[in-house]
Amino acid sequence: MRMEKGLAGLEAIFRPRSVAVIGASDNPGKLGFHVMKSLTQGGYPGKIFPVNPGKSEILGIKTFVSLFHIPEEVDLSVIVLPAEQVPKTIRECESRGVHAIILITAGFKEIEDKRGAELQREITDLANQSGIKIIGPNTFGVINLHLPLNASFTPEFSWAERGRVSLVSQSGGMSHLMAFLSMKCRLGFSKVIGLGNRCNVDFADMVEYLMEDPETDVIALYLEGIDHPRRLMEAAKRGRGKKPILAYKVGRSRTSDRASHFHTGSLAGKHEIYEGAFKQAGVLTVESSEELLDSSKALALCPLPKGRRVAVLSGQAGPGMAASDVCEEGGLSLSPFSAETQRRIEELLPPLAIRTNPVDMGPAWYDSDAIKGIVQSVLDDRNIDAILLFIMFASANKASVGILSDLLLERRRDKPILSCFSAPGGIWEEEIKRLEQSGIPNYPTPERAARALVNLVKFKKLKEKGNTRENP
Amino acid sequence: MRIREILMKARAEGRDSLLYTESKELLELWGIPTAPCKVARNKEEALRAARSIGFPVVMKVFSPDVIHKTDAGGVFTDLRGEGDVISAFESIENNMEKVAPPIRMEGVVIEKMCSGVEVIVGVTRDPQFGHVILFGMGGTFVELFKDTSFRVIPIESPDAREMIEEVKGFPLLEEYRGKKGNIESLKDLLLKVSELTVKYPQIIEMDMNPVFSSPVGSTVADVRVLIERQ
Repeated sequence: MRMEKGLAGLEAIFRPRSVAVIGASDNPGKLGFHVMKSLTQGGYPGKIFPVNPGKSEILGIKTFVSLFHIPEEVDLSVIVLPAEQVPKTIRECESRGVHAIILITAGFKEIEDKRGAELQREITDLANQSGIKIIGPNTFGVINLHLPLNASFTPEFSWAERGRVSLVSQSGGMSHLMAFLSMKCRLGFSKVIGLGNRCNVDFADMVEYLMEDPETDVIALYLEGIDHPRRLMEAAKRGRGKKPILAYKVGRSRTSDRASHFHTGSLAGKHEIYEGAFKQAGVLTVESSEELLDSSKALALCPLPKGRRVAVLSGQAGPGMAASDVCEEGGLSLSPFSAETQRRIEELLPPLAIRTNPVDMGPAWYDSDAIKGIVQSVLDDRNIDAILLFIMFASANKASVGILSDLLLERRRDKPILSCFSAPGGIWEEEIKRLEQSGIPNYPTPERAARALVNLVKFKKLKEKGNTRENP
Repeated sequence: MRIREILMKARAEGRDSLLYTESKELLELWGIPTAPCKVARNKEEALRAARSIGFPVVMKVFSPDVIHKTDAGGVFTDLRGEGDVISAFESIENNMEKVAPPIRMEGVVIEKMCSGVEVIVGVTRDPQFGHVILFGMGGTFVELFKDTSFRVIPIESPDAREMIEEVKGFPLLEEYRGKKGNIESLKDLLLKVSELTVKYPQIIEMDMNPVFSSPVGSTVADVRVLIERQ
């Protein structure tokens, strides 16, 4: 019963039928203005009720003196008021039957002043008594690109592409960074959630919700350190192998990670415990913002490989070698091709370069049909589970990506294909876009493509292990 | 059960750590193999103990006050004959006199000298995660390389396996230059330690260092157990 109530509350956060903005403003110097802009410009289809006792209209929308003056039901309140006014407002939300709150206001436990921590305790108690789910305080907000709903103070979040990756973040700064990076690398988001100070909605609740969310295929987490890591582990374990969960946890360095030491000589940093705990719970750990996005993108777009045997096909030798390093370090195997594939490659490539895996397709770079033939035979090869495909632009190979596109599009469901087609601005952009939309992610560097594939294979393994764990 | 008695006795005496002999008994009672040992109060007892255990042996200071026995000059290994035993005993006595503040030396422990690949197994209690288990390669460079893996307790069998495979020194356990460890027995050790701390959560820290792993099995050669003080 409690669980149902919880989920209903979270539904009100992501799919509210109506939103009240308490502290709405028409002054661009106030966050309440930007929240209004986000909701209106983000195309929110439900009803918006600005609340501000001094205004009758904000951005052309009828504005209410208080929550009690709104004649209709309010599912979600976005609060942008000074911290001291928050407890009273939460009580009002409770008596008004509001289901969920996004509490943007800062000035709680994150500040040095003790009053901040007291206020946070007060609102946590209020939240727990009332059962209202509160995201924040000290959050930029929540975005659901599928509704669409932009309940944040950054209207530009709505520029992100709609997709299947949901990001749950402990940091507003990192969420902004990743949203803007996603626009450049064409990663599609389903939801972006800033947890802020986590009053009664924590990572565990979000993982539980997103595991069941039909609009989410990949769950990406950014963490700094949390109070109840075991709850997160339990939630992740329950969903093990169902949807990939990736975690980027900062605090590797000694400075930011001084906690917890074994007497034998500081062998245990907190970070290592997190890494171990994540592995145990089936969460993939990544090392950077790029890796979080790159791997999420691969996991959202590509079919899962059957195994860990990768073919590296590169228009030039160097990029292939750079990727091979990453693959082997990550536990992938650059396996030999079948005899048939090998024969075919030798027909198509003169004996001027490496014709075994990783293949240097260099000698055929002016001959796009030869490249296509090689890719085709590797796609057919039963000894190969995934393909990394790299072509660096040169005038002479300009036609290659276009010629390859049709083949790749036709065969994209057979095996994961990750590419790095790199060219000066304006070249190949249409082709790459079309490929990405069809499930062939493109990366800025061969190393990043390889790294994303490593995580794709890791998830595949986890899925298998998950099954055997259930039936030992 | 006897384990509970050991833990309660230490607590009743206001200690936050178990005596060396108690720690080893606790492990044995839980089915974890340890190097056989005997307490000796004087040279004669030490000689008798060494003969009955069989050379080569290790001698360690036995004192409720010494936590880091090696650092204090209280451990001598690879004693191959009676002469070695006598001189080691004298050295330990001398070294203990120099320790400040003064300690109670209640004798020495004579222990069977083990061989195999050195690893460490530990438990700590983290404020957020609770009990956490560590596995790592042991030996001289352990603190330099920090070749360790962690999991949150309780662990399952696949976790134990992964913990062992994850360390960079894993090939040493598989087989390296004619030496190898025993991976199954290490797995078993990790699982038993995990179960032990689930059953007795008042154990807040364990340090099994070194553990010797060889084809015949894995044996805890030294162990320290800290318990919650009330």
